[in-house]
Amino acid sequence: MSKKTVSLFLCLLMLFSVATAAAEGTTFTVTDMFDREITISGPVTRIVATEPGDCEILYALGCGDALVGRGLYCDYPESITALPAVQSGADTNLEEILALNPQVVVMNDMAHSTEQVKLLEQNGIPVIATNANSLEEVYENIRLLGKVMGKDTEAEALVAEMQTTFAEIAAKSEKTDKTIYFEVMPLEWGLWSAGTNTFMHELAEICGMQNAFADLDGWQPISQEQVIERNPDYIVLVTGMGETAVDEVLNRTGWGDITAIQNGAVYNANSYSMTRPAPRLMEAAMDLYHFLNDIVDEEVPAA
Amino acid sequence: MLKGNNITVRYGEHTVVDDLSFTIEEGQWLMLVGPNGAGKSTLIEAISQGVPYSGAFQLDGKDLRRYKPNQMARKIGVLSQNNSVGYGYTVDEVVGLGRYAYTTGFLSSADAEGGEQVQRALEATGLTELRHASVLTLSGGELQRTFLAQVFAQNPQLLILDEPANHLDLVYQQHIFSLIAQWLKTPGRAVLSVVHDLSLARRYGTHAVLMHQGRCAAQGEIAAVLTKENLHKVYHMDVYAWMQEMLQQWR
Amino acid sequence: MKKRTETFSLGIYLLFVAALTSSMLLCICLGSVSIALSDTVTALHNSLWGLEIPAGIAKSIILNVRLPRVLNVALVGAALSLCGAAMQGLLRNPLADGSTLGVSSGASLGAVLALALGITLPGTTHGGVMLMAMLFAFLALVAILGLAYGLDRSLSTNSIILIGVIFSMFASSLINLIISFAGERIKSITFWTMGSLSGTHFGHSLILGVAVLVLGGVILGYSRELNAFAIGEENARHIGVNVRRVKLIILVAVSALIGICVSISGTIGFVGLVVPHMTRMLTGPNHKRLLPASLFAGAIFLLLADLVARTLLRPVELSIGVVTSLVGAAAFVAIFWRTRKAG
Repeated sequence: MSKKTVSLFLCLLMLFSVATAAAEGTTFTVTDMFDREITISGPVTRIVATEPGDCEILYALGCGDALVGRGLYCDYPESITALPAVQSGADTNLEEILALNPQVVVMNDMAHSTEQVKLLEQNGIPVIATNANSLEEVYENIRLLGKVMGKDTEAEALVAEMQTTFAEIAAKSEKTDKTIYFEVMPLEWGLWSAGTNTFMHELAEICGMQNAFADLDGWQPISQEQVIERNPDYIVLVTGMGETAVDEVLNRTGWGDITAIQNGAVYNANSYSMTRPAPRLMEAAMDLYHFLNDIVDEEVPAA
Repeated sequence: MLKGNNITVRYGEHTVVDDLSFTIEEGQWLMLVGPNGAGKSTLIEAISQGVPYSGAFQLDGKDLRRYKPNQMARKIGVLSQNNSVGYGYTVDEVVGLGRYAYTTGFLSSADAEGGEQVQRALEATGLTELRHASVLTLSGGELQRTFLAQVFAQNPQLLILDEPANHLDLVYQQHIFSLIAQWLKTPGRAVLSVVHDLSLARRYGTHAVLMHQGRCAAQGEIAAVLTKENLHKVYHMDVYAWMQEMLQQWR
Repeated sequence: MKKRTETFSLGIYLLFVAALTSSMLLCICLGSVSIALSDTVTALHNSLWGLEIPAGIAKSIILNVRLPRVLNVALVGAALSLCGAAMQGLLRNPLADGSTLGVSSGASLGAVLALALGITLPGTTHGGVMLMAMLFAFLALVAILGLAYGLDRSLSTNSIILIGVIFSMFASSLINLIISFAGERIKSITFWTMGSLSGTHFGHSLILGVAVLVLGGVILGYSRELNAFAIGEENARHIGVNVRRVKLIILVAVSALIGICVSISGTIGFVGLVVPHMTRMLTGPNHKRLLPASLFAGAIFLLLADLVARTLLRPVELSIGVVTSLVGAAAFVAIFWRTRKAG
């Protein structure tokens, strides 16, 4: 069967399902994070999300059942891996998404996918584009998905929970001049760190610390010499490199005089919770707070 | 000096040299003649171990295959048909490489008479003035003389030439051939060459092998080989009459 | 008779050493972080004479970060440039180089394969990667030359470059294929292919130093043969060069050296192409001068490129390959233009 016939068939199918949905639900409009007005026929019971953060938010809102497909790298909570996976990013496979017959698709970063978004919309599937690089934007992201799913109350509650958590940590944390160096790519591949407009930067502030590379914007490759010169008090690894990562950093030549190394203040963070725009940022903040204040983790209940 | 016994060269199905035997002795200038595609150049390739062949060449009584490349280069020098150089080496450097076979060992260049040999080769070919010139700036005749000087510097006993004066003006042709004739005067040397021009072959050769479709049509002393009958058999035309007709035009 | 020597005089070698030493000193003194010259000199001086070094930033950065990096950059630059010069002579092709011939891609493929399959040498951390990189660099070279030879017996410039480009594409698609099957190791592999000299240490210097000494020595030892090849392979055979053996030895040495460099620093394009070419303009094509000069020039070129990469956008650090490719691509076009016009 040719591609054309497939999409034609799917189009008809879509028109049919849209028609039935409209009959039993209501049509409403949302503004996505790229300021586009999107009209959706609700209630939404079939949704595909390509980004891990969006998937985590949907689960946190109690909409896990509405997900019919996930992006390839969406892996939390674990039960999500049972869902069919679609390619995301530049390799996004439209046929895979169309075959899942969703009412709405949630995608990220328009820069990669303007054409793909257009094609999906031509096929009658509204696309919600998200793009959160700060906690404020994560709240906006949560409220947006809450609206799409008809879970405004739950969304507000989740946002409030996050705000409270961060406020509590901030209240408990003393404001200091101490610095944290976040390493997002290890020395072996050339160091990268995170500057402003990253969750790591905000989490450091919440914990009363300074980001050692606050003069950078976003993720940037940096020189080893800069780390040694800036002499951070804490080193947080967001590299996802496994158990030996801390030992590798402690034994780097030339790093011996760094305060963090001398104090053994190197922490291998969960790179997913610290970088994804999702409720798990609360865990990330708690973990960071515990590390900085030398609190041995008790079993932290899942968020 | 050099004997070829039942030499056969095949390119796939195609037999280019077919069971050919010949001998060349000191003082001889053996001309390989015959029409295009007779296998002359291929035979020379085989001697310089450039193509696989069956049969055997005996050089001073020893199978040529058992010579190391540098041992062979001290006895046999080859001047190819087309020489071009990609980089701007000087004439000196190209001619100097003719001494390669005499420099032994990994890094050494203990070749006592090398400098003198190069000097003499440059003089003999009239290149002394040009020795520091880049080969990229030379004319076709000068370039061919450079490689002739290289092979002279190599000081072999047997000089093998594949169309040594091809593409060259008449003056250069004559010049190159007289240089080779001069070189041959030293005892213990011999020349084997492919020549298209029958009158040049007749003028300089002492012996000849007339080749036709990979086989030997006739061989022996030059006068006995380049006869009217033999040539007619191979070229399918009256070569004598044609040459005479050409000469008539000049008179 | 006045004998013109083919090799450089001692004075010229001293000049080379002086130029290299001053480039290295410059690269040690300048960097992402500014350190007072006096502190730098004290650190270097005291470490050379085994004196106590005052603790502090100068000690950590100069001795432990910059010094090994500068050493490694110089050695990689020297090795890549020497390999380029040797291949350009051997193949009589001014555009030959590890990156244009696809040897570097072959080495990358081998290294990625080693990472994906978890091939390791017992007792070493990166031995498996290095060995596979060397092996695949050689296989790539043999495959490319075999293909080019089948296509065009004269091994002309254009067909070799064409096949090199095709092979590079083939290798990178294989790398992508391996990455998509590799699962858990995916991250490690994707980023490995970028390569970086920023985390290299004295252990790497030792490996590179021995490799340059031994393999580079072998290549330098074949200067005369390379001259013969550069004049023409047929001519080389006629003057008594053992063509097959010499070719094999040089190809093995070159691919081993490129494999080691790639496994330590990743692919750094165009060094082996541009540097020997520029050097040849000054020294002429004779490999007795060209090879040693390329060795020094390659080290200096890469040191300066690395200096630009480290300091241009500080604190951000550029990839060294970006700098060399920018310079190299422009030079590549210029060389191609010239050779096409010449013949």
